[in-house]
Amino acid sequence: MRLLVRFYGRFLRYKARLAIGFAAVAATRVTDIAITLVVGEALNRLKAGEAPSFLPRLLAWFAAWGLAQALFSFLQRWCVVSASRFVEAELKRDLFAKLARLDFGFHDRTRSGDLVSRLTSDVEAVRMFLGPGLMFALGGLVMVPVTLVMLARREPLLTLVMALPLSLMALSFKLLYGRLHDASLAVQEAAGDLSHGAQENFAGVRVVKGYGREEHQAARFAEVSRRNRDDQVRLARARGLAHALSTGTSQVTFVVILLLGGRAILDGRMGIGDALVFIDLTMKLFWPVLTLGWIAGLYPRAVASAQRIEEVLGRAPAIVDPPGARALTGFDGSFRFEGVSFTYPGAARPALSGLDFEVPAGSVLGVVGPTGSGKTTLLDLFGRLHAAQGTLRMGGERQDELTLASIRAPLGYVPQDSFLFSDTWRENVNLGADAPLSDERLAELARIACLDEELARFEAGYDLRIGERGVTLSGGQRQRTCIARALAREPQVLLLDDALSAVDTETEARLVRHLRAAGAGATVVIAAHRLSSVRHADDILVLSADGRVAQTGTHDELVAAGGWYADTWARQQQRAELEEL
Amino acid sequence: MSATDQDPAEELVQGKAFDLRLFLRLMEWARPHAWQFVVSLLVLVGLFAAQLGGAWLWRLTLDGPLEAFHDGRLPRAEALRELYRYVAAYAGIVLAYSWLSYFEIAQLGRAGQVVVHDLRSALFEHMLRLDLTWFDARPTGSLVTRVTSDVENLAELFTSGLVVLVFDLAKVVVLIVLLFWLDRELALVVTAFTPVLIGVSLLFRGGARRGFREVRAHLAKLNGYLQEVLSGVRVVQMFHREERVGARFAGLVEPYLAANLRTLVLFALFFPAIGLTVLAIQGASLWFGGHSLATGDLAYGEFVQFWFYLAMLVDPIRDLGERFNVLQAAFASAERVFRILDTRPAIAAPEGPAPVPPRGGDLVFEDVGFAYVPGQPVLEELSFRIDAGETVALVGATGAGKSTIVNLALRFHDPDVGRVTLDGVDLRRFAPPALRARSGLVLQEDFLFEGTVRENLLMGRAGIDDAALERALDASCARDVVARLDGGLDARLTERGATLSTGERQLLAIARALAGDPELILLDEATANVDSATEARIEQATKNLLRGRSALVVAHRLSTVRGADRILVLHRGRLREAGTHAELLARGGLYARLYALQFDDAEA
Ligand SMILES: Nc1ncnc2c1ncn2[C@@H]1O[C@H](COP(=O)(O)OP(=O)(O)OP(=O)(O)O)[C@@H](O)[C@H]1O
Ligand SMILES: Nc1ncnc2c1ncn2[C@@H]1O[C@H](COP(=O)(O)OP(=O)(O)OP(=O)(O)O)[C@@H](O)[C@H]1O
Ligand SMILES: [Mg+2]
Ligand SMILES: [Mg+2]
Repeated sequence: MRLLVRFYGRFLRYKARLAIGFAAVAATRVTDIAITLVVGEALNRLKAGEAPSFLPRLLAWFAAWGLAQALFSFLQRWCVVSASRFVEAELKRDLFAKLARLDFGFHDRTRSGDLVSRLTSDVEAVRMFLGPGLMFALGGLVMVPVTLVMLARREPLLTLVMALPLSLMALSFKLLYGRLHDASLAVQEAAGDLSHGAQENFAGVRVVKGYGREEHQAARFAEVSRRNRDDQVRLARARGLAHALSTGTSQVTFVVILLLGGRAILDGRMGIGDALVFIDLTMKLFWPVLTLGWIAGLYPRAVASAQRIEEVLGRAPAIVDPPGARALTGFDGSFRFEGVSFTYPGAARPALSGLDFEVPAGSVLGVVGPTGSGKTTLLDLFGRLHAAQGTLRMGGERQDELTLASIRAPLGYVPQDSFLFSDTWRENVNLGADAPLSDERLAELARIACLDEELARFEAGYDLRIGERGVTLSGGQRQRTCIARALAREPQVLLLDDALSAVDTETEARLVRHLRAAGAGATVVIAAHRLSSVRHADDILVLSADGRVAQTGTHDELVAAGGWYADTWARQQQRAELEEL
Repeated sequence: MSATDQDPAEELVQGKAFDLRLFLRLMEWARPHAWQFVVSLLVLVGLFAAQLGGAWLWRLTLDGPLEAFHDGRLPRAEALRELYRYVAAYAGIVLAYSWLSYFEIAQLGRAGQVVVHDLRSALFEHMLRLDLTWFDARPTGSLVTRVTSDVENLAELFTSGLVVLVFDLAKVVVLIVLLFWLDRELALVVTAFTPVLIGVSLLFRGGARRGFREVRAHLAKLNGYLQEVLSGVRVVQMFHREERVGARFAGLVEPYLAANLRTLVLFALFFPAIGLTVLAIQGASLWFGGHSLATGDLAYGEFVQFWFYLAMLVDPIRDLGERFNVLQAAFASAERVFRILDTRPAIAAPEGPAPVPPRGGDLVFEDVGFAYVPGQPVLEELSFRIDAGETVALVGATGAGKSTIVNLALRFHDPDVGRVTLDGVDLRRFAPPALRARSGLVLQEDFLFEGTVRENLLMGRAGIDDAALERALDASCARDVVARLDGGLDARLTERGATLSTGERQLLAIARALAGDPELILLDEATANVDSATEARIEQATKNLLRGRSALVVAHRLSTVRGADRILVLHRGRLREAGTHAELLARGGLYARLYALQFDDAEA
């Protein structure tokens, strides 16, 4: 509830629209009643035996009120709903901006489908409730006292009795609230499971098919679908109950009108010509009450949705600019790790611990180690993707005192999973650059990334469309596109996370040569399993399985020293075999 | 129709307001639940009857005891008694009405949902059988939409669409007949205006349809982009592109908002327009009715009844446009859904599929040619064989077509020319799931599902006991990975296994492949992100575990392939060299060069 009030603050930015809308809602009700009164007067006078010559004048009034009503009813919709649409757009933008900034601790544990539904159905539920819902209900209620007074003038007892069904309705909603709330939450969740299940199976369709598991996965999906159906049916029942109760109470009111109205007429307290006005007014009294019922139905959903939105909006990213952050200036490309450790949230053991080393400006650092030893995590730290303990210095300055923008601007990063967007090749590379690149520059990058020949073979050239996550490229083509993207920003620091794992040795050798030329003067950090990728590094960091630095040194030093590096080198080299030949 | 030459632009399907062919097909789906719809219809009939009855009772009361008392024809006590009788009858009707209105929501909702469930399950199963080419050409997000909102739109066809529309039309007819029966003059007034009412409603329908389509298209783009940025959030943050993607998203929100506002103007105009038309009808009725009342041609109660019927008549006509739109959206969805259901996968089981050999089997590529995009061949004149029990390695430059060969070996695609055979039988003669189930596959870009480790390893395959699972974990060196996870085999992985390192994911994928005790194991760069010590252990253990089974190994790291029985060197989709490691080295060709590059100086 408090949350919804807070979200309402966003609506208040559109005060003028809201004020006009609110007034228009009330005015619409007023004209509505006026119309009823005109009709009532006509009937009463006819019933009293008056000649119909007065009709034209009354009909003129009827038309005037009708036109006014049309105007107000346009205004109420336009003002209120447009304000709610503006708020919706704003909420979407804010949510997106927040999601793009939230840390991996959050993203790793949240289904992407679930986040999408927060931006869609949850925003819609809140918009609907706070916008049109609230406005129509409140605006309508303004007229309830007026109508009641008018009814009371005709038949006081009737008015009193009318309060009964009204309170009955309020009571029944109170009783039904829990049921509606639970049912709509269940439906929301089941719907999430459904789209998640579909999303996952379509994205992983190669694995599903590769194992011939189509039937099994379909059966699992059918199970989720069945659950969704049952939840939907349960919700329909709860809604049906609410609907029946609200129609029931409004219908009972008509019984009361017939009974008491009939008696009043028989007692001579009310003219028979008043009957129609009476019925019409009661209906109009009930209209806002019925919308109140409608909005009460929206309320549980809106509360749940507001919570889900706030979970994202209210979450502080773990990594933000510290207060009083400085921009990094005059960065030379050097790094120093001083007792740096990091444990993933919820993980039992640290991914990295007690790192102490230096990366001089313009040097090449190799990072090697067994699977899961923390190489990727270490590369992440260069860009402060995680909040680690200890001190990391960039060009002598503490990284955690610098702005994120200035930390990341000098970095060119090639991720291990070669993520690409489903866009053209050109746009994917442009992501790395600060401004769209010229064709000459793209050609240059393609050449450095050893992609020029292959791109020339594709008809579309640089405008080749790439499938989701790059599915229509070969593994090595994906990886090299990522390298081009990283080089596009002319990085001072190049971070290569196993970035040569999917290319053949010939291409690798060419790439290394190109990178060396292109990245002359840049600091390069290479994480790799293939030791040939790091053998020319100025310094090599060997991580142990528990995320510590086991050894450091140059290739020759490490080979001479023995240990994991020397063993792996021997294995990859198989010198013995070569000598045999 | 093959899946490849199909237009992926299903989003743009417009749909007609009524399409008999689609409708009949939909009825097929509704038929098993016919009684649900019969009950729904009965409920609606009951509701209408109660409504009519209520209005009629008002008239009886007004023109009966009240009028009679007013005229002095009936003593008060008698009139009162009669009033009570009518009130009692009215209360009965009201009770029935409320009771039925529960079923209006509950029953119609249920009827729609049972059909949705059937259709959705069938659609999903069918989609999973479609070709990979089909999947590659379509954004995952829009495929998800097919089994979620499209199927739900179809339900609307049954619930708020067709049933209600048919019923509304019947209502209009009945009401007009009743109006005529009540008072011919007034009825003529109403019928004279009805076309205007319908006209306004239909005019609106056209605009609303365009508007909704626009809104939907923009929303789809918005959600697709969001989904993508979420899966690439690491890249976005590392490149510090939060603002740029935010701006792009805002750029997508802009037209979405504009489309919404345009639709809103239409709605905001529609309701007053309908309101004015209704007022005109009422005004005219008052004029003519007033004169009839004055002359006594019309009783007061009759006029009240008329007024009620008029109100009842307006609602269905006003909703007509909206109902048409619901129908249209439903038919557009139906079109999209049936288009998928009509897509026959090119890769499917033939009539009477050949039995897959239970053991062994020689896999032979005979003069195979293949292109993903016509005119851009990826494989050409490719021939080689993997005999039962043999380990064959594939090496070659990136983009040479190695992964494509793996795809063909599992019949993810069929070759354009030539054929692939297993024990002399064309792969096209087997049922694909049966063919694939005997293989163990590790993809270059593998995929783990959200769920427990055990679920991921089993993939619902029967006949994998704990011992087999343990063996697979040992052979793939994934035991350490599992041991590190809180909960071991029952630890839950998140979407795509995001909380594991890339190499750890690969080890689990290898374990998954080994667990099924495959006849043929296909490893596409399966250890590219795994350290060499682990890789060597895996190689050894796998050899022991799969003694006598065939293997196809793709790797760039030549140490990985050295031990293979035969090595095939691929160059631009053609087979360049083949032989054992020693033979190829001695030959001094492409392989020898690659080998030298890797082991001698990378700068050479
Ligand atoms: N789904 C697809 N649609 C269109 N083209 C594709 C598709 N998959 C691959 N290709 C193209 O086919 C060619 C061969 O790709 P393939 O994946 O077989 O190469 P590869 O030998 O496995 O390369 P790598 O070593 O880089 O993984 C490449 O030029 C690639 O762009
Ligand atoms: N998002 C995460 N949440 C929790 N734990 C994680 C997460 N990402 C990685 N880990 C764990 O942290 C450890 C280090 O992972 P990291 O990805 O840095 O290894 P790596 O050296 O890059 O491995 P690889 O050679 O497989 O690429 C692993 O044990 C991994 O399971
Ligand atoms: Mg890694
Ligand atoms: Mg490949």
